[in-house]
Formats: sequence, structure tokens, C-alpha cells
Amino acid sequence: MGLKFLKIMRASINRPPTPDGDEDPQQELTLQEIINIKLIESGEKEKLKELLRERLIECGWRDEMKALCRAFTKNKGRNNVTVDELVHLITPKGRASVPDSVKAELLQRIRAFLVSAAI
Amino acid sequence: MSVPNDDNTSRHSQLSSHCFGDLLDSIIADIASECHRIARLGLDRNLEDEEEELRLSTQARVRVADPSNSGETNSKYVVDIFGQTHPAVANEIFDCMNCKRSIMAGRFAPHLEKCMGKGRKARLKSTRSGTAAQNRQARGSPVSAYASYSNSTTNVNRVANGTPGPAADEYGEGGFDEP
Repeated sequence: MGLKFLKIMRASINRPPTPDGDEDPQQELTLQEIINIKLIESGEKEKLKELLRERLIECGWRDEMKALCRAFTKNKGRNNVTVDELVHLITPKGRASVPDSVKAELLQRIRAFLVSAAI
Repeated sequence: MSVPNDDNTSRHSQLSSHCFGDLLDSIIADIASECHRIARLGLDRNLEDEEEELRLSTQARVRVADPSNSGETNSKYVVDIFGQTHPAVANEIFDCMNCKRSIMAGRFAPHLEKCMGKGRKARLKSTRSGTAAQNRQARGSPVSAYASYSNSTTNVNRVANGTPGPAADEYGEGGFDEP
């Protein structure tokens, strides 16, 4: 019994060491991911998303985006449209046309959260 | 912990912007998905559809305005929703209850005017209540046949509430005979 144990020990000694890469990536979350997790766990992400959605509806941004989609759909034919196409259509214009006040409000709240979460 | 404030602020700004971008992308994806759904289901009255409808309605209007198709005089010969055509003047013949003459249905009203109303001769006639009741029944039977028809179809689902006519009961019971 003892001999076997020694053999196993020797085998483990002679085995090449486990490369570090195997263990670390699983534990090494990016800061972004950590923030995301904290946002979701605290429920703040949902609140922020609702706030953003509300502001974008109020200022007519959402209607603009839907109008873009409708125009695109009309030209393409309503059965030839994919979600991907619509996303790629709206994203650049959408990101560019968010009102400054809305963006500022959201950024402020996010920053406040980061401070409170001590990141 | 002497982390310079600037570093922290810029780091925070970067992270915040990134978070904001995430939220915005998520909302954009929601909108795209909703618009896609509306487009595919045809829920939105697409301009395309409206143009198509306009075209169809103008076509229909042309067809209606076409003299060979319709017009006041020919409207009775147009097929109705049951697929029946009717002549311009109703040609069922029956007996006037007043003067006991054979009258064409389409000419009945003017006949009644003369027969009952205006003339001196009309005022001298007496009313024949017996024949009037007879005629009412004769003309009423097709109506009751339809009534029993509609009752029978509804009686399949509902208990017959003493509906009139033996025909209705027959149909009703047949409906309940479900294995």
C-alpha cells in the first residue's frame, strides 16, 4: 500500500506542472464584468434600463427609431426584414441621437452606483 | 490609499460610458425586435399596404361606376350575398285580401292604393278579416321556416327554451345526440 502511494507521488512529481493559464482565466473577471454582476445583483441595472427607456420615449427617440424601421421595412418588403438588419440600421443613428440631457442623467446615476459599490 | 482623483474619475467615466452603451444596446435590440415582429405580422398599416388598398378601392369604384355592371335600374340583377339574383320587379303572384284579385307582388302597393284608399269604390268595400288572416299565414310560413333554421343551429349549444314549432325541437334533439 505504501509502495503504491510512493509510485503515485513520483508520478505526480514527474508530471509537468499544470500551466497557470488553466486556473486563472476562470477567476479573472474583468472589471467590466464585475460591475455588470453588481449592477444585476443589486437590481440597479433593471432600474437604470427602465429609466433610460422612459426618457427615450419621452423625448421621441423611440418613435424616431421605429420610423426608421418602418421606412426600411417598406422599402425592403415586410417579409424580407431580419432583426439583425434592423439592429444594424438603428444602432449608429440611435447612439448618435440620444439627447445630451438623457445621457448625462444616466451617466451620473451609473457613476453614483460605482462610487457606492466602491469600485 | 492615495489614488489620484483624476485617475479614478476617468476610470469611472470610461466604465460609466461602457455601461450606458450596454443599456442603450439592450434597448435598441428591444426596439428592433418589436419592429421586426410588427413588420412580419403585418400589424402596422404599412404604407405599402395602404397604397395597395387605395389601388384596390379605386379599381372597385371604377367597376361600380361602369354602366354595364350596375346602376339603379340593373341593381336588382346583381347577385346578392346568397348568390341569388332578383328581377327588377318582384313577380310573385298572390291574391289581394281586399278585392280577391291576382296581383303581382311588385304591383301590390299601387294596387292597394286604389283598392283600399282613394277610390269611391274602395270605401264601399268591407274588410275581409278571414282572408286577411289566411294570407298572413301563407306569407308568414317561409319566415317561420327560417326562424326554425336559425334556432336549430343555436340549439346545438343551448337548451331549447320552449322555442316554437316542432321543426325546431327536431333539430335541437339531433344536435344533442353526440356520442
